[in-house]
Amino acid sequence: MTQPTIPARRPPSPAPDPLRRTVDEEALARCAEEPIAVPGAIQPHGALLAVSESDLTVVVASANAAEALGTDPTGATLADLLTPAELDRLRAALAGDLAEAEPLRVAPGGAELDLVLSRSGGLLVTEWEPVAGAEQAGAAWHRRLPTVLQRLSAPTTLEGLTAVLAREVRALTGFDRVMVYRFDAEWNGEVVAEDRRDDLEPFLGLHYPAGDIPAQARALYATNWMRLIPDATYTPVPLEPPLVPGTGRPLDLSGVMLRSVSPVHLEYLANMGVTASMSVSLIDRGRLWGLISCHGYSGAHRPSHADRTAAEFLGRTASLLLHTTVGAAERDGVVAVAQREAELVAAIGRTPRTPAAALVDGDLTVLDLLPATGAAVRLDGRLHLLGSTPPAGRVAAVVPAVLRAGGATDRLTLTLPGFDDVADDASGVLAVEVGGGRGDYLAWFRPETPREVSWGGDPRTSKVTGGRLSPRWSFARWTETVRGTARPWREHEVGAARALAGHLGEAVLARAGEDDRLSAALQRTLLLDGLPEVPGVALGARYRPSEADVVGGDWYDLVPLPSGRLAVVLGDAAGHGLTAASVTAQLRHALRAALLRDEGPGAALAELNRLVAALLPGEMATAVVVQLDPATGELALASAGHLPAVHAGHGTARLVTDGRGPALGLLDVADYPQVTMRLDAGDRLLLYSDGLVERRDRPLPEGLEMVRAVVAGGAGGPQEVVDAVFTGLDPAGTDDVTVVGLALV
Amino acid sequence: MLFAVARGAVNGLPVLRVRGELDLSTVPLLAAYVDDALAPGPRSLVIDLTDTAFLDSSGARHLVHTAKRAAEAGTALQVVCPRGNVPVRLIIDLLELQRLVPVVESATLTDGEVGS
Repeated sequence: MTQPTIPARRPPSPAPDPLRRTVDEEALARCAEEPIAVPGAIQPHGALLAVSESDLTVVVASANAAEALGTDPTGATLADLLTPAELDRLRAALAGDLAEAEPLRVAPGGAELDLVLSRSGGLLVTEWEPVAGAEQAGAAWHRRLPTVLQRLSAPTTLEGLTAVLAREVRALTGFDRVMVYRFDAEWNGEVVAEDRRDDLEPFLGLHYPAGDIPAQARALYATNWMRLIPDATYTPVPLEPPLVPGTGRPLDLSGVMLRSVSPVHLEYLANMGVTASMSVSLIDRGRLWGLISCHGYSGAHRPSHADRTAAEFLGRTASLLLHTTVGAAERDGVVAVAQREAELVAAIGRTPRTPAAALVDGDLTVLDLLPATGAAVRLDGRLHLLGSTPPAGRVAAVVPAVLRAGGATDRLTLTLPGFDDVADDASGVLAVEVGGGRGDYLAWFRPETPREVSWGGDPRTSKVTGGRLSPRWSFARWTETVRGTARPWREHEVGAARALAGHLGEAVLARAGEDDRLSAALQRTLLLDGLPEVPGVALGARYRPSEADVVGGDWYDLVPLPSGRLAVVLGDAAGHGLTAASVTAQLRHALRAALLRDEGPGAALAELNRLVAALLPGEMATAVVVQLDPATGELALASAGHLPAVHAGHGTARLVTDGRGPALGLLDVADYPQVTMRLDAGDRLLLYSDGLVERRDRPLPEGLEMVRAVVAGGAGGPQEVVDAVFTGLDPAGTDDVTVVGLALV
Repeated sequence: MLFAVARGAVNGLPVLRVRGELDLSTVPLLAAYVDDALAPGPRSLVIDLTDTAFLDSSGARHLVHTAKRAAEAGTALQVVCPRGNVPVRLIIDLLELQRLVPVVESATLTDGEVGS
C-alpha cells in the first residue's frame, strides 16, 4: 500500500532517538544499501542544496535549484543566497539540534520558502520548499489541538483511538482518505480505521501481505515519522553531480523530506488512482506498529509544513497511547471471558442434570464463552453443534485428533493431515476434554482467517473500478499468505475453556453417580423379590446386573392370568442407564396390562408394540411371552425380535424359532404370530436375554448352540438348569443377564 | 478391530461403511456420520455392515432410528449385511429389521432404482 512515500524529516525528537536503539540494525543496513535511500533525485516541489558545513559552499544541487531560488547556486555559498539576517538565523539553528529546528522562512528570489535543515554524509542538506501552493488548515485547527488531544486520549479501545486518529488527521491535512493501518506479527497489514470522502469505496478491514511494504521501507519508517508525495505524477529532479565529490558516493536522502521515491511505488499509487499521498509512522515502544496512510485522489495536494508537523505530532501522541489502550482492551477481553465462564458454570449449577442444555440452549451458550464462530459440546456421547462448524461426523473426527495433538491449533490443516475439507470452518480448533472417561469434550472453532475477515463485507467480490488495480488485489495476495490459519487462541481463552470443562466434568460425574443409584433402584423394583408359587409349575430365574456400573434394560415377569394360566415374560429394552431402566418399567407394566386381557401372547405383544410406537418413539425392545396352562401343559409362545427360547425334553433340546414377529418399536403396527406346543412332564423351557450369549469373542450362533446343548444335557429342576446355563455360558460382564426356566411339576 | 466409519460411494450414491463393533460406545460416532449424510436430503443412503464385527441392541436401535428418519425424509435407505457376516446378520434377522428397511447382500441401489 503506502510504500516509501517520500522524504521524511529527521525525527524532531531529541537525539539520541530512543527508537534507534531498538530498530533492527541489519534491516537498517539493508535499507541503507537500497536505492530508496539514495535515489539520486528529489521530488520537484522543492529544491535541495547540500553544502559543506564549514564554509556553506554548495557541493550538490538539485537540477531545479536555479529556478526555485532565482539564482544559479553552482559554485555559490549560502551566503550568496541568504540575507545576513537569514544567515544569522541559519547559523543559530546549526548550533542547536536540527531535528528540533523550525523551518527557516527565507525569500532568496523574492518568493517565500521554508528552509529545512538536516545532515547527511558529512554535508549540510538544505531543502527549500515554496510556502505558496501549500494548503494550510489554518489557525482554527491549531486552536483545537487541546480538544483533539483530549479526544485522542479518551478512547479505551483501539478501535476508538484509531478512529479518532484517522478523523483528526484527515481534518488537519485535507486528504481524501486517511487510514490507520496495523501490522501483525508477520508484517501483514490491516486497515483498522478509516476516514474518507463519502463517495469513496471503503477500505476498512482490508488486509495486505507483508510484501506490500518491503523490509527496507519498514526499517526507514521506524526511524522517519513522516513521508510525503504531494504529486504522485511528478518527474524526479536529479541531483548534480550524482556522486558527492570527494566521497564518490551518492547522497543519502533517507532523512530528507524531498527524497524521490521508488518508481515502483509511484506506479503502485497510480494503479490505485492515488495522486497525492502522505504517511505517518505509528511506533509502539520502538517497534513499527502501523501507519497513518493518507490518500489524495484529486490531483496534487501538499499540506503546509505546519500541518504536516501537527499530523506527525498526532501520530506520535497516538503511538504513546497505543500500548495502554491495547492493554486496557485486552484486559477488558480477559475480564469478559472470565465473566462468561462464571455465568456458564452457574447455568450448569442450576440444571446439573442437563448440563448440555445449560451450555447449548440458554441465552448464553458455550459459543459465547470466547470469540469463536462455532462450538461443539459432546456430552453423554451426544454431539451438539453451535454456529459454524464442520459437519457432525467431521467434528467427531477432528476434535479427538486435536485433543491428541495438544488441544489447540490455529492452523489445523497445516498441523494434522486429512482435514483439508474442514479448513473453512475449523482452521482454528480449541478442544478440551470433559472428565469421566466417556470421550466427552467441548470444542470451539475459528474459520480460516480470510473467511473471517471477509465477513465484514467480502472485499474479494467488490468491484474493481476503471480498470485500475486496487488494494483488493493485495487483499487477494494477503489471503494466500494466511491460507489455512486462524486467529490464534489466547492463553486466557484456553484457560477459560479448561476451567469450564473442569466444572462440567464434576457435574457429569456427580450426575452419573446419582443416575447409577437411581437406575439401580429402579431396576430392583422391576425384578421379582421371589418367584411366586404357581400350582403345577416349577420356576427358576436368575438376574445378574452388568459389571460396568450401567443398568441394562432386562426385565422378566410372571403374571397369573384370570383363566388360570400363567404368563411368563422376558424382555430387553435397547440401551443402558436411567433411560433404559425407565423404558423397561413402562414396558413391563404395559405388557402386564395387555396380558391380563387374556387374549394370548401374540395379541399382548401387538398391543405393546402399538404402545411403544405411540408413546416411546425411538425406543426399541425385544420380548418373548409364554403362556402356560399348568393343567394341560399347553403352551403358547410369541416373540418380538427376541432370541429363541430353548425347549428341552426327552434328552434333546431345540431352539424355538416359530412364533416370531419384529422387535417392539420397529413398525407402528405389527402382528405377532404365536406358536403353540406342549410342555410335557419333564420338559423344560428356557428364556434368556442377549447378555447370556452375547460375547465379542464368541459368535452369536455358537452362543445359541451352547445354550441349547447345556439345556439338553441339564438335569434337575428349572433353577438347576438356569444355574447350569450361567455356569456353562460364562457370560461377559458388560451387559446384564437374565435367565428364566419353567417346567411342569 | 478399531471402530471406524468410512464415507464412500457405490454407483455414485453415498455409502457409510461401518467397521468394527457397533455398540453403545460407538453408536454416537456412526450417528454423527449419519447426521451428516442425511443432512443434504440425499435420494439414497447405504449403510454397509459387511465389515461390522458385532452389533448390540443399541446399534440395532440406531439402525431402526435411522431407517425411520430416512423414510420421513424420502431418502431410500439400504442396509448391506451379507449372510456370511453371521453374528450381525443373525441379530438383524431376529429383530426382523428387513421389515423396516431393505437388508441386502451387497449394495444394489442404482441411480435409476432410487425411490422405486
